[in-house]
Amino acid sequence: MVRLTGMEGIGTKYELETSKGDKIAVVFLLNRRVQLYIQEKGCEKPCSIEMSENESKRLATILSGAPVEKEKESIEVDFMGIPDLTLALHTYTVGRSMAGKTIEELAIRKRTGVNVIAVSRKGNTIISPPPHLIFEEDDQIVVIGNKDQIERFEKEILGA
Amino acid sequence: MEIAIAGLVCLIFAIIARKLSFPAIPVYIIAGLALGSSGFGILQADEVSKKIAEFGVVFLLFYIGLHINPREVGAKRKTIFASGFYDLLINFALVFILLFATGFELSRAFIIASSLYISSSAIVLQSLIENRKLILKEAEIVVWMMVFEDIVIAILIVLNSVGFSDLLYFFAKLTLFTVLVLILSNTAPKYLDRVMERDDEAPLLLVFSAGLLGLAIEELFQIPYAFAAILIGLMFSQVKSVEEMVIPFKDVFLILFFFFFGVSTKFDMGGLALGIVLAIVAISGKVVSGLLTGLRTEKSWKSGLEIGLNTIARGEFSIFMAFAFGDVLISSAITVTVLITSILGSLTSRYSERIISALGRASQ
Repeated sequence: MVRLTGMEGIGTKYELETSKGDKIAVVFLLNRRVQLYIQEKGCEKPCSIEMSENESKRLATILSGAPVEKEKESIEVDFMGIPDLTLALHTYTVGRSMAGKTIEELAIRKRTGVNVIAVSRKGNTIISPPPHLIFEEDDQIVVIGNKDQIERFEKEILGA
Repeated sequence: MEIAIAGLVCLIFAIIARKLSFPAIPVYIIAGLALGSSGFGILQADEVSKKIAEFGVVFLLFYIGLHINPREVGAKRKTIFASGFYDLLINFALVFILLFATGFELSRAFIIASSLYISSSAIVLQSLIENRKLILKEAEIVVWMMVFEDIVIAILIVLNSVGFSDLLYFFAKLTLFTVLVLILSNTAPKYLDRVMERDDEAPLLLVFSAGLLGLAIEELFQIPYAFAAILIGLMFSQVKSVEEMVIPFKDVFLILFFFFFGVSTKFDMGGLALGIVLAIVAISGKVVSGLLTGLRTEKSWKSGLEIGLNTIARGEFSIFMAFAFGDVLISSAITVTVLITSILGSLTSRYSERIISALGRASQ
């Protein structure tokens, strides 16, 4: 059960108590920094750290169990209202095997179930690329799907 | 030229204060005192610096209004009231009665009580963040207490400004203005949002002029600018990204206000003595009201002490009261009180845990 509190003039606080009774609080400050508090059950004094926005995103990635590798940064999104829905967003760099082909040709969605939602090429971003878009080597692409679909994508399309 | 020197002096002091994790507000005032008429007399306040100080005040009040989000206040009214009730009762009502009983005339007792009542949101919230207390229940109560005080500020300003001959006409005007702003609050944010979404200089200009609008309203309609600025802030509290945009303006002008307030403050011994007495009242008042609040909401004196020790610092609003309504004696007394409570309050907030556990051991 997550408790959300708006703290006027400070930011937003999310609190979570684990089934073992440990307490965790995350506070998103107005200056975009993030404070994380951990309080062991029965311990008077909580411990805390403060991190930048980027550091907190990396931590979130690690906590969600997704592998973080240099070439494959990803985030997983959980929705509070739908507890069993986890969306994974991954970024990949287009290699030789995909270059010169279109999304349609590769039949990405049919074969793997993932959707390519953005392509970044030399600093320009194309959101929701059309199926006839031809990939070029070194394009950065963002794909969305669930864990299984992403794994299939890595095996079928990237590994091809 | 004075403004540039002031800015640079404040810059140096700000860096030093940060390094020592010391509250910045008293530092700016002390810097102003040292360079102004009470100290070395290097700087004088002139027309331009007075205007800049006024900008600081009007931005501060606009910012206070910005933090009163009517919808949120409505939804949380029980919590806010429970957090702020004893604070108002002891630090305003009781102090006011005490001052009146010891021979202060009504209007001066009212000004001093108002200044002693309002904690410094800036110092208090900053301390909560820096001392890593945000996980605590008490931190939430302190935040709501600040919101409650912000709401009372609007009322105090109106009551303090009642120096007008024609009371009925004055209140009719105020009521009309308030109703107008509240009606606009329902429709205007839609259109204001549209301006704020632009990526040119329009949002900046909108926020800057909205912040200063209170001054214009005072000149046009003789409605106290402080009250007008709070209400305009209230209207903008539902418009997105106004807050982050107004902070730079507010910070710069408000820092200069503190500095030039220090520059123009005439110090006298009577003020110093009174200030020390008021500081003692101010500190014990917040500790007692914190204790009562903690006992009521958390059923624990330790919680209460935590709340009390975190709300001792007085600052921006007390200085504004001294600037807008105080005479020489009150101004210097309140300055002394602010200096003492803001410095001590930062320390009590930092070491609250040790103080509470020491008291816990002593009581066993």
